[in-house]
Amino acid sequence: MKKHAITLTVNGEERDLIVSSNRTLLDALRDDLGFTDTKYGCGTGECGACTVLVDGTTSINGCLTLAATMDGRSITTAAGLAHDGALHPVQQAFIDNDAIQCGFCIPGMVLKTISILADNPRPTEDEIRHGLEGSICRCTGYAKIVEAVQDASHRMAGVGE
Amino acid sequence: MTSRVMAEFDLLLPYSVSEAVTLLASHGDKAAVLAGGTDLLVALKFDYAVENIISLAQVPGLDKLTYDPEGGLTIGARVTLVDILKSADVKEHYPALWQAAKVFATPQLRNTATVLGNILRASPAGDCSLALYALGGTLTLESASGRREVDLDDFWLSYGVTARKNDELAIALQVPAPQAGQKSAFRRMTRVTEDLSKLNAAVCLQMDGDKCLSARVAMGCVGPTLVRLPKVEKILRQAGITPDLLQEISDTVASEIAPIDDIRSSADYRLKVAGVLVKRVIMLALNGGNDQ
Repeated sequence: MKKHAITLTVNGEERDLIVSSNRTLLDALRDDLGFTDTKYGCGTGECGACTVLVDGTTSINGCLTLAATMDGRSITTAAGLAHDGALHPVQQAFIDNDAIQCGFCIPGMVLKTISILADNPRPTEDEIRHGLEGSICRCTGYAKIVEAVQDASHRMAGVGE
Repeated sequence: MTSRVMAEFDLLLPYSVSEAVTLLASHGDKAAVLAGGTDLLVALKFDYAVENIISLAQVPGLDKLTYDPEGGLTIGARVTLVDILKSADVKEHYPALWQAAKVFATPQLRNTATVLGNILRASPAGDCSLALYALGGTLTLESASGRREVDLDDFWLSYGVTARKNDELAIALQVPAPQAGQKSAFRRMTRVTEDLSKLNAAVCLQMDGDKCLSARVAMGCVGPTLVRLPKVEKILRQAGITPDLLQEISDTVASEIAPIDDIRSSADYRLKVAGVLVKRVIMLALNGGNDQ
């Protein structure tokens, strides 16, 4: 099987690696580069645990992406969101709204939230729920997750609280 | 490694259409083309194996979505569902396609999956492909021996089988410019929003007042390929669209479809509700997308 030398910028840092043709982006991130914050859930693009952001704020499923097709692209995982020891406002909103139970879906949920708010800084509840489709949480009823997104929206707009 | 391990293959990354077409000429029988990959990678994690995968990731020029009032809409091979959603031209001039993209799968998949991939998949449940079937379109296929155009009406041959030959690359889809009075809409039925459709329908009508001059009515999940409903189209062209005419249409639909029992629904249920869905998608088109 062909191997490919690629460069990924992960959370702002350039990483060179050699991947087999059938290596997924998810496996490259987790097993080759150690970004185990990106989770393996269903492997077929349904649960959203493997969500990462590409080139800024575009959410994709790492499990359905071949690493070798991502040469030169910039990837953000949940581990890259905190700056200087301070959590990203979306992460803090998830904590403060008790939106986390087991936590497995949360890296994907937080990244999806960033993606939603980048397109639409003040989403309605319907828009939030439509935007969170493709990220499945098996612990909660989503109510607190939606509240966390609304809170994050206020925090990032610099109003409320 | 994850539990769903893909079969081995060689990934080929051409840098131009001509290089991709050359690769297809030499590997076509043993190669699959990868654009978004949201169908192909899932297949590779289950029972599909192929020696070569030709990725379009590095091929420039295929990501263009352009609208011209004379020439219509051109959708390149790497145009994604999200590109469709972000296009004000699509929303205004091809509402059926925009509505299908809006409910298509999930945000992550909409960011990745391509419109042409949905057509090439030849699924009888495809949402975007159904909307485009109603709108009409022509696919441009390129091979080492040249280009040819295939009308969508002639493209889907049977379940998962298309008129594309193994050495051909689908470059773009051309959708005609909307005619005066053109109205279109898409509707589907699912259990939860992320499901594949259990039933979907799309229409494109050319209206003059309340009279329908031409109609294309397409339905999915009711046969091995997407189908058009010629009897319904004929009824639509007969007279002004009245509640009685809509009821006649609704009563006719079941005679034009052959649904099966599967995991998402039963043949019986589909036969019962298909007429209602077609009636509602016609009303949606006439109401300019307002679902009342």
